[in-house]
Amino acid sequence: MPDPAVAELLLTLADDEFVLGFWDSEWTGIAPLLEEDVAMSSISQDEIGHARAWYELLAAETGDDPDRIAFGREPAAYRHAALMNHARTDWGFSVARRFLYEHADAVRLEALARSSHGAIADLAAKMRREETYHLMHFDVWTRRLADAGGEARERLVSALDRLWTDAAAVFTPLAGETGLLASGVLPQPMDALLARWRNRIAPLLAERGLPAPPDDLAAPPDGRTSRTDDFGWLHGEFTMVARSEVGATW
Amino acid sequence: MDGPRDRVWEVFRQEAEGDPMVHGGSVRAPDEELALHYAREFYGRRQESHRIWVVPREAIIELDDPDLLKPPFDRSFKRPGGYIIKHKLEAAKARAGAAAVATPEEAATDA
Repeated sequence: MPDPAVAELLLTLADDEFVLGFWDSEWTGIAPLLEEDVAMSSISQDEIGHARAWYELLAAETGDDPDRIAFGREPAAYRHAALMNHARTDWGFSVARRFLYEHADAVRLEALARSSHGAIADLAAKMRREETYHLMHFDVWTRRLADAGGEARERLVSALDRLWTDAAAVFTPLAGETGLLASGVLPQPMDALLARWRNRIAPLLAERGLPAPPDDLAAPPDGRTSRTDDFGWLHGEFTMVARSEVGATW
Repeated sequence: MDGPRDRVWEVFRQEAEGDPMVHGGSVRAPDEELALHYAREFYGRRQESHRIWVVPREAIIELDDPDLLKPPFDRSFKRPGGYIIKHKLEAAKARAGAAAVATPEEAATDA
């Protein structure tokens, strides 16, 4: 009998990576320089690869089909954090979102690598190795835009200001969190992970004279259920092929 | 597209530990950190590299002067094939072979 709390956790992990991977794949062809175009596309593919691994684990737990979970749901059934509700916007925005997300994901994976659920712990440990490079890449870009001053810095700062609460939504408590904590599937409460994330990014931002996260920053209760028109559009894009022939084998 | 974003970096890669570093190609990047990231994407993302070196192109000291590299006189004797040693080698082998078949007694008689 699949544990609904484990299924919910897996769905949040998969949807975060899946939706972010699709958003940033929108940079393919138009990134600031050719080399970055390849890097951003490759990183987006990595995220979709991670989403696939989480969806497969979820499908194995629930006896479902990973493709159906990924492509066969209505927008309201996705459980990504509000951070992934926005279009790629401009490069400063995409870098700010990535910076906030990569550090949140690192904190989350670090905790999950100690999960009592063996398959989750194994996947988290593997993904941490690949995410190290993603972290480095967006740390570099955050520093570059901050140090560049002028419009680059302004766009970065305004994106950070816009995204604090939506980024905190990565740590919105799960409905089944009490059970997950009791069983050790989730080794630490989301609140504690949020605090760790904050302590991790604050000095990096301060080092560049960038704004600190607001003092009263908290994860919004609807952080994983609120959906936007932007996401509605993206959903239409990424389900287009799957919808063209439902149930087809590719 | 002027300025630092146009810096070019030469990328060398090694397929396995102990293999020689081989020139893979080049990337453009504004600084060494991004140069390394892009080298990784272009020459390592398919797990084809064990190690990568990135060198700013301006650090390379180039020599392409034909007076130094393609001198006008015959310098074939500087190539390994410049000396014809085939006959000397055969003669040496023949001597070595004759000495080996000779028994100690014969050698003594000869003396």
